[in-house]
This record gives sequence, C-alpha cells and structure tokens, in this order.
Amino acid sequence: MGFIAESVRKALLLILSGSPDVVSAVWTSLVVAASSIVLASLLGVPAGICIGAGEFPLKRILLVSLNSLMAMPTVVVGLLVYALISRQGILGSWNLLFTPAGMVMGLTLLAVPIVANYSVSAVRGADSRIVSTALTLGATRIQSLLQLTREVRFGILAAIIAGFGRVISEVGAAMMLGGNIRGYTRTMTTAIALETNKGEFAYGLALGIILMGMSSAINALLTVVQEKRRCS
Amino acid sequence: MLVTSSIYELTSVQVRLGSRLALDVESVTIREGCLHILIGPNGSGKSTLLSVMAFLTKPDHGRITFCGSPVNWSHKQVGHLRKQVTLLHQESYLFSGTVMANVGFGLRMRGVDQKEVRGFVEHFLAQVGLTGFQERDARALSGGEARRVALARALACRPQVLLLDEPMAHVDQKSAEIIEELIASQSQAGTTIVMASHDEHAGERLSSSMIRLQEGRIEASDHKRV
Repeated sequence: MGFIAESVRKALLLILSGSPDVVSAVWTSLVVAASSIVLASLLGVPAGICIGAGEFPLKRILLVSLNSLMAMPTVVVGLLVYALISRQGILGSWNLLFTPAGMVMGLTLLAVPIVANYSVSAVRGADSRIVSTALTLGATRIQSLLQLTREVRFGILAAIIAGFGRVISEVGAAMMLGGNIRGYTRTMTTAIALETNKGEFAYGLALGIILMGMSSAINALLTVVQEKRRCS
Repeated sequence: MLVTSSIYELTSVQVRLGSRLALDVESVTIREGCLHILIGPNGSGKSTLLSVMAFLTKPDHGRITFCGSPVNWSHKQVGHLRKQVTLLHQESYLFSGTVMANVGFGLRMRGVDQKEVRGFVEHFLAQVGLTGFQERDARALSGGEARRVALARALACRPQVLLLDEPMAHVDQKSAEIIEELIASQSQAGTTIVMASHDEHAGERLSSSMIRLQEGRIEASDHKRV
C-alpha cells in the first residue's frame, strides 16, 4: 500500500513539475495520434459515406471486411507496415522505420476501418429522404452526398473521436514502427510499457494518469456528441 | 378548348419494388401547363409514379419522353432534368438549420448569388404565409409550417414541373387552404403540376385533370383542360 501511495505521490510530482520526458511523450503521442486521425478521416469518412449511401455489388462483402479490419490485432498491423517500410520493404528507401511518420502510417491503417465503419453506421441511420430531397431540389449526386454528410455530422464526429481514442491508446504498432526512441518516437503508451519494465513505476503511473485523463475526456466528448446526434 | 403540348409521355412503364409490381402504366400523357391529380388508395402507385416523373426512380421497363425527348437515364441527362422538375415528398424532409437555408437550398444548387437567394427566400416565404420565418430553426416548426416551408423550397427552384405528393395531408386547415390556393395560382401561372391526393373533390375545386390509379395501373383519366 505504501508503495502505491508513494508512486502516486511521485507521479503527481512528475506531472506538476512538467518533467521533460513526460512532456515529450505526451507531445509525441498527441502529434502522432492527431496526424493519424486527420489522415484516417480523409480516407475513412468519404469511404464510409460512399459505402453507406451507395448501392453496388459486393457492398455486403465490403462491410464484412471493414468489420473484420476493425478487430485486426494492432501488432499484425504493425507487422504489415513494418514489412512495407523496413529496409527490404517496397517503401524501404523512404526511411520511415522508427520515425514518427512510420508510426503515423501504421496508426492511420488502424484508424481507417474504425472511422469508415462508424461513418457507414451514421449514414445508414440517417433519414432516407435526405439524398432524394437534395436530388429533387437540383443537387448533383456529389452535392447530395455533401448534404447527407452535413446532416449526419455528429455521427461523423463521433467516428473521428472513436478513431482518435483508438490511436492515442495504441501500443503494439507504435512500439514496432517507432522503436520507442526517447524524445523522438516515445509515446505515452510505449513509455509506460518500457518504464514499468525498468521498475520506474512512478513515471509509468504519471503517464498512465495523463492517458486516463485524455481517454476520459475523449469518452465524455463522445457522449456529448452522441447526445447531440440523438437530438438533431 | 385549350390544347397544350405534352410534357411527359410514359409508355409501358413498369416499376418493381422487390417482387411486387408497384407500377404498371400502359400510357400516360401529362400536358404542359396543366394541373393533373393522381387519385387512388394507399399503395396504388401514386408516389412511385411521381418518383419516376421526378427522375428519382428508373423504371424497370418502358419509355419516357420529357418535352419530346426520350429519357435515357444517363447521369448527365437525369441531372439536367432534375433541375427542371421538383418533387415535394409526402413526408417532407427539412434539412437541419434555418428556414432560410432550407428554402434557399435549390437556388444555391443552381449557383444563384447569396444576395439574390435572400430576396427569393423572402418572396417565397411570403407566398406561403411565413414572412419573417427566415432565421427560425427548421426543425422547430409545426407540421403545417414545415410543409409550407417545404413547398416554398420547391417553388423557389421555379421548376417547369411541380410534383406534389399529398401536399395537404396531415396539415392544419389554415395550412391546407394556403397550400391549395398556392397550387391553384401556380397552375394559373402556367406551371405544370402533378399532385397525388386522396381528396376526390380536389380535382373539381382546382379544375384539374384526374388520373385514377388502382394497384399500380391507370383505371381512368379525364383531361378537362386538354
């Protein structure tokens, strides 16, 4: 009990004193997660809207595939991207391995199915008259889909927040692709794993408290957005 | 007797919804500048016929000409035709946002300047008796007000053909009267109108042509102004 209390005290001191290692890990986590979610949104949101609103052959297979990809283990994603960006990989000449860019690549791949799937759900749950109303008022197909996006914006926002929640707390792919280099690719999650193994429990706990705070804030935001979605 | 040219000609048009034959029309002609009323019970194919005329539903079989030109259902042609025809759905959907954003939607899709949009919106809201409603939340309107906003939105597109799916159903007396007066005035102004209705007397009041539908087929039609 004394060990835990002492660790919590040290962890809070580390946070309050603004320890450079803690700040660096938090900053790297935020930058990598934010970059990944921006890219994942650019790919996943349009894909989700087109899949959700469109009628085409193989749609069901595509939906099942997206669902399967959501459940893909993060280390498998890490392994696939590692194969692509390692020296022998087809993108080996880009020197992305053990860089934040390499981590962004892996985390983007993890987030795309989540963002796309939630976007599909938002579109499928939307009123079926949105697109036909827009079309009959003279909108083109693209304009009608943009209007649909506007109408389901809270659902789309929920998709993006859910994706962010996934990438900020990810450890497997971040460790494999970033290499956990101090001050460069060390994120909160990879630092927690490493420092706890080294016996630096207080340091891991400090990052854990920050990560928990962020996760709680993300969940609170998600709840607010979903509430708005129900009301809109 | 006034003779007008045909704007729509539908020949052997069939629409299947799943395994059900929802529409099986041998021949229908819609005359330009006339008001046609589609009469029939629920499930008789009125909404499906309007959806075909609005170029939202492609028939499984048959031929349609619009203004004398055959409809080939290419994206380009359909996009062009939808700018000339506007459908007011039975249960109108108002987009989230203000009344101004809703009524101006069709105009914005046609590239009308924002300043002009404001003027048109004010004009058409006045026509439906909703002056000063521009900044109201569209989702907070009563059923009758929402229907009138949807009608103003359709009229603001200044369509060549106005398709109305039971516009007076489930609205208050005042809204129904305003909508009916507006339909009559639009018809007199030369807009081609096709309106689905359950009201047998609407045809007499509006001096229109009646097309009776039953189980997707046309039972009878009379053309008073043809």
